[in-house]
Amino acid sequence: MIDAQVVQDTLNRALTTGARFAEVFVEDRSSTAIRLDDGKIEEVVAGGDRGAGIRVFHGETQAYAYTNRLDPGSLEEAALAAASAVRDGGDRVEMVDLRSGPSAAPELPASTDVSRTQKVEWLREADDAARAVDATVRQVMVVYGESRQHVMIANSMGDWTEEVRPRIRLFAQVVAVRDDVMQTGFEGPGALAGPEFLRRRPPSATGEVAARMAVAMLDGRPAPAARMPVVLAPGGGGILFHEACGHGLEADLVQHDASIFRGRLGETLASPLVTGVDDGTVPGEWGTNAFDDEATPTHRTVLFDGGTLVGLMYDRLRADGDGVPSTGNGRRQSYAHLPIPRMTNSAILAGDARPEDVVASTPHGLYAKALGGGQVNPSTGDFVFGVAEGYMIEQGKITGAVRGANLIGNGPQILAGIDAVADDFGVRHGICGKDGQGVPVSNGSPTLRIADMTIGGTDA
Amino acid sequence: MSENAGVPSLADLCARAVRAARTGEGVEAYAGGGRHVDVRVRAGRVESLTSAETRGVGVRTVIDGRVGYAYAADPSLDEVDALVDAARQSAAFAEPDEFNVLPAIEQAEPLSGLYRETQELVPAERKVSTALEFERAAVSAHPDVRKVRSASIADAVSRVAIASTSGGPVAYERTDCWASVSAIAERDGEMQMGFEFALARELDDLEWEPAARGAAERAARLLGGEQPKSERLPVVLDPGAATAFLSVLAGALSGEAVLKGRSPLASMVGQSVGSPALTLIDDGRLPGGTGSAPFDDEGVKTGRTLLVEAGVLRGFLHNTYTGARSGRPSTGNAGRSDHRSVPGVSPSNLSFEPGTLSAEEILRQAGRAVYVQDVTGLHSGASSITGEFSVGATGLVVEGGALGRPLREMTVASTLLEVLSGVREVGSDLRFFPMGGSIGAPTILVGEMTIAGT
Repeated sequence: MIDAQVVQDTLNRALTTGARFAEVFVEDRSSTAIRLDDGKIEEVVAGGDRGAGIRVFHGETQAYAYTNRLDPGSLEEAALAAASAVRDGGDRVEMVDLRSGPSAAPELPASTDVSRTQKVEWLREADDAARAVDATVRQVMVVYGESRQHVMIANSMGDWTEEVRPRIRLFAQVVAVRDDVMQTGFEGPGALAGPEFLRRRPPSATGEVAARMAVAMLDGRPAPAARMPVVLAPGGGGILFHEACGHGLEADLVQHDASIFRGRLGETLASPLVTGVDDGTVPGEWGTNAFDDEATPTHRTVLFDGGTLVGLMYDRLRADGDGVPSTGNGRRQSYAHLPIPRMTNSAILAGDARPEDVVASTPHGLYAKALGGGQVNPSTGDFVFGVAEGYMIEQGKITGAVRGANLIGNGPQILAGIDAVADDFGVRHGICGKDGQGVPVSNGSPTLRIADMTIGGTDA
Repeated sequence: MSENAGVPSLADLCARAVRAARTGEGVEAYAGGGRHVDVRVRAGRVESLTSAETRGVGVRTVIDGRVGYAYAADPSLDEVDALVDAARQSAAFAEPDEFNVLPAIEQAEPLSGLYRETQELVPAERKVSTALEFERAAVSAHPDVRKVRSASIADAVSRVAIASTSGGPVAYERTDCWASVSAIAERDGEMQMGFEFALARELDDLEWEPAARGAAERAARLLGGEQPKSERLPVVLDPGAATAFLSVLAGALSGEAVLKGRSPLASMVGQSVGSPALTLIDDGRLPGGTGSAPFDDEGVKTGRTLLVEAGVLRGFLHNTYTGARSGRPSTGNAGRSDHRSVPGVSPSNLSFEPGTLSAEEILRQAGRAVYVQDVTGLHSGASSITGEFSVGATGLVVEGGALGRPLREMTVASTLLEVLSGVREVGSDLRFFPMGGSIGAPTILVGEMTIAGT
């Protein structure tokens, strides 16, 4: 992407004021988005973005400068801007030597060339499939999004990596209407892959799933406002894990003493049924990369092992602070952002119960078939997440739909309250936001049950 | 990273795109760029200092009613020609729609005070020292608050130029400066967080001290909170919480949502949608408003739109496309996050008209109620399409006309229309928040909502 000499000169320039670490992150990204809405292909957007960010560490202070100009002069200016921010009279100058060349990420399976005509056709297939579900389907929006992010990272420790990350996602949102009631459904599978992913996850299935959710919820009555057991369908527990404890195990919050999990490594905080991991290496998964955004190879990190807290997620700066290696969780949205510890593909692993037995052994509760996103306050551990498709469980059977339910709970308490973990498994894909940065993440889990949780419906 | 003499201006880039138009083609270019500095401090030290200079161009073509769009970061003039080509090729795949038209771009009256040259001259050292003072103010405001999750002082100089085959170029520049802090209160091993911010056009006008005190107070007053019982109760919404609800309502007031069957208000113009105490206005030229600009993101002059008048729905927000399809002019509410996005519909400065009661007077009228300080999970728990919401909340009990003990781990649920019609009092303390535009509300008392806890 950029000449080795220029990279080396830029790093050396960034170190001139005595920084202990310097890094160059260069990105060139091309994206295509095609949107079908209201029965029509509304727009096709093709774009390119490129830029470079130069970062230095001085003690625990980071200075960062970024620009979209990749010529040697602009990189030098950015390096000086970063360097001057940490000047304290230090005159230590260490020369960086990058003669060994970059480590390339393992090549992904070659992406077949898919024509725009085919992509447009996929959108129509999703639209047709959604509308075929029921006459109440009123509106369908489908967005095809693909991107190719070419990243080069080099630092003063001699790490130098280069990686191409193709990503693909098809997202469908459906509105169903009956009388005065309007309900929505959505589905959005994604992958670290090229467009050929949509041959394995046909757009028609995505449209149909979204439509079925919207139509099912038309029959929903208002959800209760009460505490009761909650059974989460496969994947849903992953979203819960992400919000209930994942963010609190990101090392920046822990080190800032802003996490409820600070100082609790080695303690049994979750139910013994819970083993939870973050794994940035799952082949082709939406949250996977070969290297994180700081040139550290991605990793599988066990966070909870049989209920005991055993691991945290680190980026380089926070790993330095704790004197441990980075776990490869330093991620950034783009060159315009500082890396911070982030989840990749996080999951609660499958147990041995049969999913049908989990429901059958619940006399009265809520079955959350699909969840929206959530949000956590990491310092209290209190979190919420939305139930997009929910049903009441009565006498061990899934019964009528309920709508308008958000679930609220406290991370450690909810993890301790998981009393059944099934042997199935599912994964949901999303964009996780933290500190104003969105990155692709996946959340996986089997069917599981929380013994007691607050349902925030309107029926008090 | 100063302006480089060899680099084309944003207006030059736009003009080049327009020149590349072929006969009969509509071509529009939006160029945005700026400089940005962000200083984050914690524990008396600079945690990070980020400085940036970026620019980009987005080109929209309208060819026989078909829209194509292409964008690039910091393109050269030749690369702008290639962008027009890429947008042209994209248009071939879109379906024609007679309402896809480019608006006539006329010179709009500038807004005074939007740009402050003095802000461009503030040295980084002063931003750093202000950030450190800001954090000190937060951690010395309350005995239970000894640290922050982070405190930040940031500023941006932004420039926008737009030109099309229907006019321009038009251009403006602006300066913005902001302070934000999440204070952490601790007592007996319990932690609570309180967020506050301040916005201004320049550092000299930035009132960061009240923000520092406010964040500390908001964190500390939540310590020792308990989960409430589930019941229906009157709710007092803090201006921030009221704004969160208004941001969901804003989605339902978008002309695009209305046209595409995604607004519960679609068929209600002229009807009562809320309490007579409610008047809702979008004002793109509000003096001092953070959402103010002389023209919107497709070059249409901004203006003032009455959306709800004494509880009666009067209309919706439009860009050129949604306006044309609804048989009305654009309200000057075309919005895009930056050059990478096709213009949608966004509020500019959207707010409830303030009433006459202070927040304290509203508390005295509330009876037994719940005061909601912050809401969480808005993106998953509230829908502008169905109008339903159930969000996590922190807050305090209202009893005896004042704030009482804190509440945590509760949800507040209702529907947008129920909340709007249940509004009993609108306070005088209107405050704007940056939430997908600049959205503002005062303290609001709502008759009844469902609180879920134990």
